[in-house]
Amino acid sequence: MARSFPRVVITGLGAITPIGNDSASIWQALVEGRSGIAPIQAFDASKLPSRIGGEIHDFTPRKYLNRADPRENVALKGLKMMARTIQLALVASKLAMSDAGAAPGSIEPSRFGLEFGATMISIEVDDLVAASKVSSNGQPGQVDLVTWGKEGLPSIEPLWMLKFLPNMPACHISILHDAQGPSNTITEGEVAGLMAIGEAVRILRRGQADFFLTGAADSKLSLLSIARHELFLPLTRRNEEPKRAVRPFDQSRDGTAIGEGTTVFAVETLEHAQKRGATIHAEILGFGSAFDTRRDGQGMARAMRAALRQADLAPGDIDFVSAHGLGSIEFDQIEAKAIADVFGSGPDAPAVFGSKGWTGYLGAASGPVELAFALMAMRHGQLPPTLNCDHPDPACPIRVHHAGMRPVTKPYFLKLGYTDLGQCAALVVRRWDG
Amino acid sequence: MQKHRRRVVITGKGAITPLGHNVDQLYDAQVHGRSGIAMIRNFDASTFPTKFAAEVKDFRLSDYFPDADRWRHAGPNTRFALVAAKEALADADMPSSLDRSRFGVYLGNGDGSNDFPNLISAIARATQAESRANPSVFFEAALSTFEAGHEYELEMHTTAGRLAQLFDLQGPNYTCQTACAASSQAVGEAVEMIRADDADIMLSGGAHSMIHPFGVTGFNLLTALSTHNDEPVKASRPFDLNRDGFVLGEGAGMVVLEELEHAKRRGAKIYGEMTGYGTTADAYRVTDSHPDGRGAIACIRMALEDSGLSPTDIGYINAHGTSTQVNDRVETLAIKNVFGEQAYKIPVSSNKSMMGHLISAAGVAELIVSIMCLQKHVLPPTINYETPDPECDLDYIPNVAREKRVDHILSNSFGFGGQNISLIVSRFRD
Repeated sequence: MARSFPRVVITGLGAITPIGNDSASIWQALVEGRSGIAPIQAFDASKLPSRIGGEIHDFTPRKYLNRADPRENVALKGLKMMARTIQLALVASKLAMSDAGAAPGSIEPSRFGLEFGATMISIEVDDLVAASKVSSNGQPGQVDLVTWGKEGLPSIEPLWMLKFLPNMPACHISILHDAQGPSNTITEGEVAGLMAIGEAVRILRRGQADFFLTGAADSKLSLLSIARHELFLPLTRRNEEPKRAVRPFDQSRDGTAIGEGTTVFAVETLEHAQKRGATIHAEILGFGSAFDTRRDGQGMARAMRAALRQADLAPGDIDFVSAHGLGSIEFDQIEAKAIADVFGSGPDAPAVFGSKGWTGYLGAASGPVELAFALMAMRHGQLPPTLNCDHPDPACPIRVHHAGMRPVTKPYFLKLGYTDLGQCAALVVRRWDG
Repeated sequence: MQKHRRRVVITGKGAITPLGHNVDQLYDAQVHGRSGIAMIRNFDASTFPTKFAAEVKDFRLSDYFPDADRWRHAGPNTRFALVAAKEALADADMPSSLDRSRFGVYLGNGDGSNDFPNLISAIARATQAESRANPSVFFEAALSTFEAGHEYELEMHTTAGRLAQLFDLQGPNYTCQTACAASSQAVGEAVEMIRADDADIMLSGGAHSMIHPFGVTGFNLLTALSTHNDEPVKASRPFDLNRDGFVLGEGAGMVVLEELEHAKRRGAKIYGEMTGYGTTADAYRVTDSHPDGRGAIACIRMALEDSGLSPTDIGYINAHGTSTQVNDRVETLAIKNVFGEQAYKIPVSSNKSMMGHLISAAGVAELIVSIMCLQKHVLPPTINYETPDPECDLDYIPNVAREKRVDHILSNSFGFGGQNISLIVSRFRD
């Protein structure tokens, strides 16, 4: 096949998720069918309608950073001014570099790019306690702005705003790894991370960089963030059985669960990877994106077809589809319709795998974390089941893989993601067989 | 010019800014040196360190859309974006028979503002007995007072989504947020999407307002804003020795970017060509730009290389020019580094001296002013330029507009955290 642009490969990943803080533990949980969704422990969630979530446990960012290294020491000192989302991204970026075998300083800074996904990073309410108390009597909506300006504002930490700006993950990571090339933060809701990877591929192909760290982190497990999402995200009410609560494509699904996670990939041109003797995990063959104006799955179908076309593959070449699989009645149906439109519903259609039963909703990090799961499945040659899809919904005319480990026989998979408004993206990946 | 690739031209533009509700008003104010800065009316800022800003005046969405109520939950970002997009699409005069799947959106959009009164009172209520918020009390207060629709619309992707829904734009739909560089970056990447054949037309730009209690609080804490409360119209003084910070602005700008052959086939008006794009990171400090302008220099060079132009081709530089001590010094340094002696011959000005800093929307608003310069041959001044700074010694078009026909314009945007974007827009030549 004639290629007019450089080939792009994945050479490393760093993942911290509700089912494990490294690739080996994550794969173990996937094999054992062990969901990471549990009653929320980070704070007293008893007053929330949905009180379960996919939490990361035992995450101590300090442990990953070495004081003796000047750049890591800067990051260490900066941790207190980073929201948890930023800390997760920073640590995952270090894990990705190390997995890629890219020693500090080994990538030419001007050819080292960053593409991250983010959603709104929440204010932490405890940072505003003094300012709020002095300016409000606690009656709903009552705040005295004159007092806020005079006494509230000066009581807040000077760098407060930098703790939650959406581009701060990329900024801290640029400093940690001396990445001076193209840098962008895509903020397209829950498809942001996937679109960031797509943009990294585009930039590598046009030749403005050789190497990228790309992916996303997102934690919705803060007081303000979870309160907001309780209001607009379709969340499950199955508080009594958290491990069985999120049920993508299952007949009795009733919503998703809030979660947190990160995955950062090292992505580079094949030439660059080979020159530095990197171990190649997979090749990114195609990316497509679109908008579902009518929310009927036509946009998703177009995004998938665009990714397949760029990969120069036919639908029949794909072994499995890693779905967005939110676990909501409405969106799972739309997604299934789109997948069926592209791949058909017959016995030869690819298996569909949804992973939110393990993790819940990961915001901008949904795509990268789920892509990491799919890469692991491809590497191990076994596709885990879609957790909790006990009775596939006949209104979702696709072949959901829902029981046992299924052998992966074809070397290609497709990852799909979308937002509730209609933004959607698809990525086609090939196993690296040398 | 560059090797064979798809060329991208501008066929539409729209803007709502502190200097008016459309592009003509924006440009007219710019070339006449009229400031849009005044005391803040959006909220009571009388005790804030900074009490003034460049607000969009007399704006009602219903003046532009009879059914404006459908966006009742949307914040100012989406409201401004709708109006600027409407102007840009009308200007581009698109036929109804377009392939909508080849028509995308790429915005640099700001995040929305949290519900200040309900959030602050919820925190106060949740901390009456303790120094840290009691989660149960906080949740009860928040869930009973926050408005679901409003909370949803704070998310950054909603603006691009609303535009795509309204105008039936079915192509790629992107949003980025790289602080003050965001809308320039959006335009740059949208150009690349057309070049890469992922789309034929992109509606691109940005929208942002941070003129709200949280925004002014955050920037005041960082001591980034001017506190020239006595004389707001004099507060934004880029490159002047006595500059003391930037002035917050708000608004939206949109351009219609189109593949050249597509534009020609439909007989579109062509306002200019996007010829160069550079994107780099300082990788230095979260709070400061690199003191030698390392990232900015690499960025301008990358844009020049992308355009295939030489430094002598650039006739005007539309500076980032925020009016902070550091930015204006470092930007000047970077321009001198890239252009050498030639730097003294290129007029440089800052549109922010009049319209303030539109944050995520700043870059595209300034690109639109640059596009107007290609049409009208008048370059806007830097107003409030009174006392030269020995470290800023270029030709900043002090105080009075200048007639000059230029063919290639460089527009810089440098964001918090060391995000650098440079765009080059050129007079169209077939």
